[in-house]
Amino acid sequence: MHGIAAALAIFFVTLVGFLILRASERHIAPSKSTAPARVPFTGGRAPDTHAWNRYHVRYYPMSLLFLAFDMEMVFMYPWAVVFVDEGLIALIEMLMFIVILLFGILYTWRERALEWA
Amino acid sequence: MGLKTAFARLAAGAPARCFAIVGAGADEIAPWLRLDPELAIVDSPRAADVLLVLGRFNEDTLHAAAAVHDLVPPPRGVVSWSPGHEAARGLPFTDAVALSDPSEIGSAAVRLRDELLSGRRASSPDILPDVDPAPWRGVGPFGQGGAGMTGGVPYGRPLAGRANDRDGLKLDQILVRVGPFLPPFPPGLMLDVKIQGDVIQEVSMPAAALDDGSSVADEHHSSEAPGSTEAMTRFAAVQHDPFIAALMRPVPVADLELARARHHLAWLAEALRVSGLEAYGRRVLKLARTVRPEAAEPVDDLSRWLRRNLSLRWGTSGVGVVSASQAAALPGGPVARAAGDGRDVRSLDPAYQRLGFMPVVLEVGDALARWRLRVAEAQQALTLAKRSNGSVTTPSGLVEGLRGPMGARVSASTALVTMLPELLVGMEWGDAVTAVVSLDIDMAEAAVLHDVAAEGRAS
Repeated sequence: MHGIAAALAIFFVTLVGFLILRASERHIAPSKSTAPARVPFTGGRAPDTHAWNRYHVRYYPMSLLFLAFDMEMVFMYPWAVVFVDEGLIALIEMLMFIVILLFGILYTWRERALEWA
Repeated sequence: MGLKTAFARLAAGAPARCFAIVGAGADEIAPWLRLDPELAIVDSPRAADVLLVLGRFNEDTLHAAAAVHDLVPPPRGVVSWSPGHEAARGLPFTDAVALSDPSEIGSAAVRLRDELLSGRRASSPDILPDVDPAPWRGVGPFGQGGAGMTGGVPYGRPLAGRANDRDGLKLDQILVRVGPFLPPFPPGLMLDVKIQGDVIQEVSMPAAALDDGSSVADEHHSSEAPGSTEAMTRFAAVQHDPFIAALMRPVPVADLELARARHHLAWLAEALRVSGLEAYGRRVLKLARTVRPEAAEPVDDLSRWLRRNLSLRWGTSGVGVVSASQAAALPGGPVARAAGDGRDVRSLDPAYQRLGFMPVVLEVGDALARWRLRVAEAQQALTLAKRSNGSVTTPSGLVEGLRGPMGARVSASTALVTMLPELLVGMEWGDAVTAVVSLDIDMAEAAVLHDVAAEGRAS
């Protein structure tokens, strides 16, 4: 019962806080958006079309590359734990692993996936 | 209210954030505003408190100026200055603080900003009407549905058209109307750019693109005598320009070359700023203002630093390559010389010949070559100024100006603008900005030369 009361209290306090902020918005920044102020700024001439548009973001190969290095970091945490015990062998093994991943970068580079255009 | 006053007091200590719209006749003032500690020149009107309106404007640019004014968030104010003490003719800003002395711009902007923040002065009202170009309404009975992502016409504007991209997909292509006041593009330059993502697919120029602010007066040229008061005022404003003077009378080589070195360094300051090196740009701008032929070592240091800077090389190498044939189509100038075309009007002048002048020529023709060439020319100009020993030029109707040969019928800037569409297609937006900045276009140049021709006929 106390739990529900506490939850309701938190809800109402948050709600009142939100409403107060919302109501004071006008006093903090007393300006309203007008049609000429909504136009994107490209130098003073109005655009013909709306700025919403679909374009090829070309991030697919980039995201694969990101995943490869993201997983590499996951492997590096346990490696860092045993690194002091294992010594040079662990270092060499990790370097080999990273070098193999670096080929991934070279491949993506060759495929022009790092270029936007 | 106490909080507001405290904030206003805090804000009063900061420089006034200004967005500058630069018309004809203000290019002498505009670059140096960044050295004013009282001003912070911003690149978007949305980030500004005060709008600086400098120079003269024509019909098209006046409408754009009004649109830019309305984009400055209230409370906003306007500071205007126009060359030759003439009133800001036809400007739509009713409550602008009009100045006659450009050195007062900084203090006037700070004072205006303080008055606006403390509420002692009302915000400058909107100029354009508060109506969307068309109602946002789709095909359905409640305004919903229709073609495109949302249906209807969001904020009164239809959605973008489609076009093929390089992977054979059909994607949206939007038309961006660039200019006339989009930093860091040269003031007055207008381009209609079709982009997909951030790749430029088509560039065209609106009909008024080659006009500049002066063409309000230009229209009168046909009906008025060339030596009319209007033409005279504008002409007087550029009289102190040594290159214009050199068209008509002998001018000391030292004056021309020092002006050239200063201009190239000021241009470099702007190019560095656009490349993200704002603090270094400011140092170079200070150098441009203070450099003397006897003390040219800082320019040599700058040249060395530029040669060694890898990130600038990556940002500019291979960008905006001007081919040999394109260079040959230009009347000359630094852009052509950076692309292997060695024409330079100075080679024909006896004074320069006596000084052993040889034009600096680079082969590659990309933005990097133009950067290097201008720095090399600044060094050369300082050396020439130092060795000139009072020698003067011989007027021949053509002079090697800051951007190329200048004469009654020749303007390098006009040729560069005509080359732009060809140069920009296929570029990413960032590269396009680098390329345009590296060309150093001055939209007012052609109109000024038009005046000189008129003056020549009159006298």
